[in-house]
Amino acid sequence: MFSISSEAKVGIFVLIGLIILAYMSFQVGQRGFGLKKGYSVDVFFNNVAGLERDASVQIAGVEIGRVESIALKDGKALVTLRIGKDIKLARDVKAAIKTHGILGDKYIELVPGKDEEIYIHEGGRIINVESQADLDRLLNQLAFIADDIKKVTGALSSVLAGDEGEASIKDILENSRQLTRNLNTVVKSNEATLRAVLENTRQLTENLNNVVTKNDEKMAQTIENLRGASEQMEKTFASLNDITESIKKGEGTAGRLIKDKDMAVKLDQAIDSLRDVTDKINQGKGTIGKLINDEETVNNLNEGLTGLSRYINKAEQFRTFLSYRGEYLFDSSEAKNYLDIKIQPKQDKFYIVGLVSDPQGKKTIRDTTVAGVTTRTEEWDRDGLLFNAQIGKRYKDIVIRGGLLESTGGVGLDYFALNDKLKFTFEAFDFSADEKTHLKAAAEYQLFKHLYLSFGWDDFISDKGQESPYAGISIRFEDDDLKYLLTTTPIPK
Amino acid sequence: MNRAAVAIDQLGRTVLEYVEEMGKIALLFLSVLRWMFQPPLKSHLIFKQMEFVGNKSIFVVVLTGAFTGMVMALQGYYGFKMFSAESMVGSVVALGMTRELGPVLTSLMVTARAGSAMAAELGTMRVTEQIDALSVMAANPVKHLIVPRVIAGVLMLPLLTVVSDFMGILGGYFVGVHLLHINSGIFVKNITTIVDLDDLYNGLVKAAVFGLILSLIGCYKGFNTRGGAEGVGKATTEAVVLSSITILISDYFLTAIMF
Repeated sequence: MFSISSEAKVGIFVLIGLIILAYMSFQVGQRGFGLKKGYSVDVFFNNVAGLERDASVQIAGVEIGRVESIALKDGKALVTLRIGKDIKLARDVKAAIKTHGILGDKYIELVPGKDEEIYIHEGGRIINVESQADLDRLLNQLAFIADDIKKVTGALSSVLAGDEGEASIKDILENSRQLTRNLNTVVKSNEATLRAVLENTRQLTENLNNVVTKNDEKMAQTIENLRGASEQMEKTFASLNDITESIKKGEGTAGRLIKDKDMAVKLDQAIDSLRDVTDKINQGKGTIGKLINDEETVNNLNEGLTGLSRYINKAEQFRTFLSYRGEYLFDSSEAKNYLDIKIQPKQDKFYIVGLVSDPQGKKTIRDTTVAGVTTRTEEWDRDGLLFNAQIGKRYKDIVIRGGLLESTGGVGLDYFALNDKLKFTFEAFDFSADEKTHLKAAAEYQLFKHLYLSFGWDDFISDKGQESPYAGISIRFEDDDLKYLLTTTPIPK
Repeated sequence: MNRAAVAIDQLGRTVLEYVEEMGKIALLFLSVLRWMFQPPLKSHLIFKQMEFVGNKSIFVVVLTGAFTGMVMALQGYYGFKMFSAESMVGSVVALGMTRELGPVLTSLMVTARAGSAMAAELGTMRVTEQIDALSVMAANPVKHLIVPRVIAGVLMLPLLTVVSDFMGILGGYFVGVHLLHINSGIFVKNITTIVDLDDLYNGLVKAAVFGLILSLIGCYKGFNTRGGAEGVGKATTEAVVLSSITILISDYFLTAIMF
């Protein structure tokens, strides 16, 4: 019966355990772990009491980002938000701290702006901030208001309360009752008088009517007067006419402007040359003309600008890292050295090229056939260098890479944990038919900024007794000079 | 001598005995560390122990994890119902499993299964003088017998804990969503928002420490067995009791340090 070795059983269990672990950390660890997606925006608040890191940032109740950090700057709270890259914030967007739920969790609410022309970019600032309704201040104001109300009610009660107050209210009511009764009697007793008043009014309007009809003639006179006025106007126009006449004759400055031949010629010339210029512009001659008339120029300009911005973007994203790693193999008491350059044009994509010095050296296999007998010789060149050339892509916490590993084809898998400080690596390469695949598993921990410690097991299923645990140390840093050297060459689309 | 003096004398002896034992375990740990980095390591011995500690404990761990999660969901439900916050049951189960119950219960189960077996196996080897035979053959018994077991314990316990955490949350989900009719979306969302990566990883660090404790104590008790078959039985019992107590006590201090 076919039996599975303990190694394989353990391997399957480890694989299942790691898959479950990765699944759970993906589910749980979406808070600031892994890749930093989107862009960051700053806001200044007067008071952020209760707001926590990783609090939600919402528009209309939909989460679009998280609070990345909260710091104190110039006596105000500087809150950095990380906004999803698909979300565009207009420049006049408004930020406010709101409370949610029974436990009073704080979150940041953004109210979209109307200025759709300009959007906030990476590192930008939200200027419109709605000051938070501070509960303490609100309570203070309420207390003041309550005080005022109390004073009013106090005064009222001092006036109204007691027998005296009751008596005066009774008096007031009694008075108003009498008043209405009096009014009633007044109206009743004066009914006749009122009727007379109305009659008088009617007569008055009638009289007015009469006055208007009688004065018909006088109205006519008024109209006659108006006619005289218009005659005067006519005379005024005539004298205006005189003035223009004298201008025509060339008297005075205005006259000279119009009558003087020289002046006219000069003006003519000026207009001519102006027309020349505009003609040229129209026909697309000269720089301005080209700029205005030629569609291509505009397109070129547009392309140039977009190209420039893409170039700058690429150059910003572009990062290069240099690393050296030394591994001490316990079993053979020898050291393996790696020198790598990692080029990272995008955050989730990279290329690695490097040199490896293996104590075993470089293996060369030579098959020679003499008279039908093939002999295979393996040569080890102990000074031979091995090469690394890999491409890789990162998905959240997992990196998959492949290419040349130690001068043979291979693949690698990295898993990042603890905010990228801890890295688990598994590599498989040298898939040759006549010996077992070279497998390598390691864990690497970032001790200081540029210094990493690693432990692992090299070639652990080797059938040539080359399996060995190892401990390694590596130095890795970002090299900006190299980056500019690489990015000054034009980047294609 | 009067009785009080005898009692004090007895107390002093007992304390001294325990202190001495602690020192011996620490020394054993140091020598395990030393031999661990002395090549060559026999990988097949390690894998055998890993299979014994890890693979063969999966069933027990799955059962304990799932039922712990289920009962936590049930108990938590009655508590949270008082505040109409039933949807928080999921996060309580997940937090409890990842931070505390996953590592501790897994370690206790593995102590009972594998720790006792280590003590019994090494104890039998000691009383039948196989360990002495190893020494005679110039093969260091610490390197050949204890190092693989300790490595297996440290490596396998976190993995078993991952399985236990997962099963516990799954069990809690089953009880909460299917039996108590909590909304499944809110149940899961509360888990993902409240549980942090740190909760998960600190639980695993705990589990690795517990793995070290149970394998070290199991091996120590077995390695120092005296007195025939009876001695083997005694060593096994002592190993389980001491490991369990040490795990629970160190759990408190680890929690205080990490969270």
